[in-house]
Amino acid sequence: MDYRNTLTTCTYCGCGCNLFLESIDGKLTGTTPCKTSPVNEGKLCIKGWNAHAFVQSERRLKKPLLRKNGELVEVSWDEALDYAASRLKDIRKKNNPDAVGFFASAKVTNEENYLMQKFARAGMGTNSVDHCARL
Amino acid sequence: MIVLSQMLDFCGIEKERLRARWVSSAEAPEFVEEINDFVDILKKLGPSPLGKEQVEAVA
Amino acid sequence: MIDQVKQKINDLLSNGSVKGVVALVHTNGNVAPCLYQKGDDLDKLCLGDTDSAGDARYPLNKVLVTLSRQYPDEVFGVLVRGCDERGLYGLYRLNQLDPERVVPIGIACPQSLALQCECKKPWPDDMMAGETSEGIDQKGVANAESNSHSERFSYWKGQFLKCVKCYGCRDICPMCFCRECSLECEDLVSKGDLPVEIPVFHLVRAMHMADRCIDCGLCDEACPADIPLRLLYKKTAQIMNTEFGFTSGIKKYEKSPLSLMGPAPEK
Repeated sequence: MDYRNTLTTCTYCGCGCNLFLESIDGKLTGTTPCKTSPVNEGKLCIKGWNAHAFVQSERRLKKPLLRKNGELVEVSWDEALDYAASRLKDIRKKNNPDAVGFFASAKVTNEENYLMQKFARAGMGTNSVDHCARL
Repeated sequence: MIVLSQMLDFCGIEKERLRARWVSSAEAPEFVEEINDFVDILKKLGPSPLGKEQVEAVA
Repeated sequence: MIDQVKQKINDLLSNGSVKGVVALVHTNGNVAPCLYQKGDDLDKLCLGDTDSAGDARYPLNKVLVTLSRQYPDEVFGVLVRGCDERGLYGLYRLNQLDPERVVPIGIACPQSLALQCECKKPWPDDMMAGETSEGIDQKGVANAESNSHSERFSYWKGQFLKCVKCYGCRDICPMCFCRECSLECEDLVSKGDLPVEIPVFHLVRAMHMADRCIDCGLCDEACPADIPLRLLYKKTAQIMNTEFGFTSGIKKYEKSPLSLMGPAPEK
């Protein structure tokens, strides 16, 4: 029997609420806000309270999907990245850098978000950067 | 009913707005009387302070 | 007090009378609910006090319910305060826990916590550590009642308007175990609308808490909008007491008057 409460940070927005993910034998069973966290003091919003719900969801995407002939098909990372890179280059060449927008995520780390905007500004040459935490 | 009407009162809502009566399907006159009585009370109380417009005005 | 509790947990685990003990642990500077099993280190055991008494309490009974749904044949120990024990009695009554498979480890609350909670009975029947504090009168409800009808109305309307519908009061509640919740029934509560319908949302919950609420106050602590939910449920509990002579979880195996048909039972 393996019962754990793992301290972690909510992945939904930039507030950084601390919560415990409760797991029994490796399966997530619930979320509890952390009372001793100075950020959220034992409180959570509706999204935080359901932070465990999406992790084991069957509908979660695990592999990259590419639309071929109007249908989404699972492809390898290499193929997906090659396709994205070639299309980005294409669009940039045919139009201008501002024809491309970048949309970052709260579910990744600060550093990854930094890299994303760096890539957008220095790599592609556009300031069109936004973030999903503006829910 | 006993609990809910007192809870309404505690929250500052007239408990007369809530009413439950048992009336048999064979007792039409009682039913009519009951409804008329209730409507009279509600008319006296006026519209609920929790109507949509009132709440939105505060929000 | 904590040494007595450690000793007791150690005894229970080493003589094999329980599979595990649900309690709290100090870890990474935080307090977390945890399950102690045979051979686990009890050094970091915590009773839920950090800066002040009882400021880091968690719904341990809820953990117990989750565990016993997964392992229905095992016996578990659980750390309980007065309110948690009332919760256990309630959960036995509602067939969510089997009293044969629960070993409570009771601790009393200090007077300061009892005062802050306005707790009527800040100690468990089955107490193994701590000094009994005095029960406190429920002044909060009387205070709220001394206001006029219209003052009460604007007070509660203001409070309910703050609700962000996080469902935290339900999710933290050790007495909320239903798989289907009325607050998610679209006929009662519309989906995706704010502010919530006043007073339907909060009174539906208050009504469901009428014969369950054990006055632990976790909902109050979990509410991001600081709605005085505990006060609301204290009032429901008071009505249940004056009308039916019933107090949730005060007597083991006492049936709820709301589960009986026919005239009210004798007080």
